[in-house]
Amino acid sequence: MKRLAKWITSLFLTVVLLIMVFPMLYMALLSFQAPGTFAVDLNNLGWTLQNYSVVFKSNNFGRYFFNSIFVAMTVTLGNILLCAMVGYGLSRGPSRITWPIFISAVAMLMIPAHVLILPIFQMMLKFGWFDTYYALIVPWLISPLGIFLMKQYVDGLPRDLEDAARVDGAGELSIFFRVVMPLCKPALAVLGVQTFLTTWNSFLFPKILVNSNEMYTLPVGLALMQDPRSSDWPVTMAGSVVASVPVIIFFLIFQRRITEGITAGALKQ
Amino acid sequence: MSRPNKILFFILPWASYFLVFWLYPLSYSFYLSLTDFQLLRGSGDFIGSSNYSRLLGDPVFMTSLANTFYFVFGTIPVTTIAALILALLIAENVPGHRIFQAAYFIPSITAMVVIALIFYNLYSRDGYIHTLFRLAGLKPPANGFLQSEKTALWAIMGMDIWVAIGYYVLIFLAGIKAIPTELLEAARVDGAGFVRRSLSITIPLLKSTFAFVIVLNTIRSFQIFVEIFVMTSGRPFNSTLTTVYFVFDKGITRGDIGYASAAAYILFLIIMVFSLLQFKLINVRKTMT
Repeated sequence: MKRLAKWITSLFLTVVLLIMVFPMLYMALLSFQAPGTFAVDLNNLGWTLQNYSVVFKSNNFGRYFFNSIFVAMTVTLGNILLCAMVGYGLSRGPSRITWPIFISAVAMLMIPAHVLILPIFQMMLKFGWFDTYYALIVPWLISPLGIFLMKQYVDGLPRDLEDAARVDGAGELSIFFRVVMPLCKPALAVLGVQTFLTTWNSFLFPKILVNSNEMYTLPVGLALMQDPRSSDWPVTMAGSVVASVPVIIFFLIFQRRITEGITAGALKQ
Repeated sequence: MSRPNKILFFILPWASYFLVFWLYPLSYSFYLSLTDFQLLRGSGDFIGSSNYSRLLGDPVFMTSLANTFYFVFGTIPVTTIAALILALLIAENVPGHRIFQAAYFIPSITAMVVIALIFYNLYSRDGYIHTLFRLAGLKPPANGFLQSEKTALWAIMGMDIWVAIGYYVLIFLAGIKAIPTELLEAARVDGAGFVRRSLSITIPLLKSTFAFVIVLNTIRSFQIFVEIFVMTSGRPFNSTLTTVYFVFDKGITRGDIGYASAAAYILFLIIMVFSLLQFKLINVRKTMT
């Protein structure tokens, strides 16, 4: 494109950018307004932190925050360990056995998880896991997408190092932990970031699998503390800022990894 | 133990997860759909296919299906085309292209609950979007967009397009980057402008990316739930009731697990049919090119 055309394009893309970012800025701005404000009044901007202290003092909000962090961390660590294991096994095992199992994982990528809410809800009741951390964590420790990513990645790793370790008499587990896992770091970072984001933001399953206030994660707590007709918007927005801004900062730091994770799936296609 | 067998130990976690958390729920769900299982009773009797025939005669369920289809087919073309155009423009390395790419993606990493809350405010009477429409002389519904059955679903669709675009921009960009640069350079040397290059080289080469974007978005959009839960609960007059919300409402809220399972299974089959159909189309295209 010519230089002028490039600048005009840039201008257009900036307008789109403003549309994309405006609601987020609006949320932040509204969270600083006086309690009871409905819409930000640009002629009369307030800058109070009061709503944030209200948020943290009420509704177990600190607890929601802890739950979200605890659940997202555990699920992320689980996926990093287990998907790497399975990916490694699928990549190195005899293909007449691993191929159908790999296909079972790929096929599950196509299953819309939301249609499984009722059987999983029933299962958690039966296991006695309903309303506990188990329900929020255990079913999500391995993801088909993670297996897919890790298998593809391990496929691309040379086997020499593993063989060398084997000749030196290393056991299979120590080969996996000492040789394979360290080589997988880039893929594990992608998987970890992806899993953390998905778990942190997930709503439907946490909503149905727990029902006591102390067990809510941030999204569930936020949705339920909000009664649109009677709610105090600046407080709700302060809660929303707490639930989303850490993730956005995290994204801006790990942007490349997140982007890779998403495009990896697209390119493999 | 021989080495291959030891290696299989590594696969065990998925084998057990597949059986317990995927295969079992899928089949259990089908079984439940053939019973009159009630949450309060904790049990149910086998009643054959009567849940299914009851669903087909249930106008509320039919409305939920219609709304879901409306949502899926109303948003996907707009999201896809808009994301494609934005990606093509960003790929020209205009000043600030990295910033655009990152900023467009921010809605995709924000919890849907948060976004739904923000837009609830913006769409309400005297909210910013409502005011904008009024100032533009467009006569928005007096009580807010989400309170009128004529506009509620449209409002949610508009929000969803806004949320989803950045994600698909990223995927299209990855597709564009995978195109051999010599092709585009050659066209540039021959004097082909941006539009010409896009239409005759880039877009035709993005076919499989297109397919990927559409399949992904179809599976995702058919499952719309959070927006509805936070913003409207399916109101007004069921105008925003989607199928997953129907399943949630009948199954979890009212405990009619058998009936809701049948609804979930119908949705599951619909999504599968669409996914397979799209895959088939991709393959046909691949053999054609």
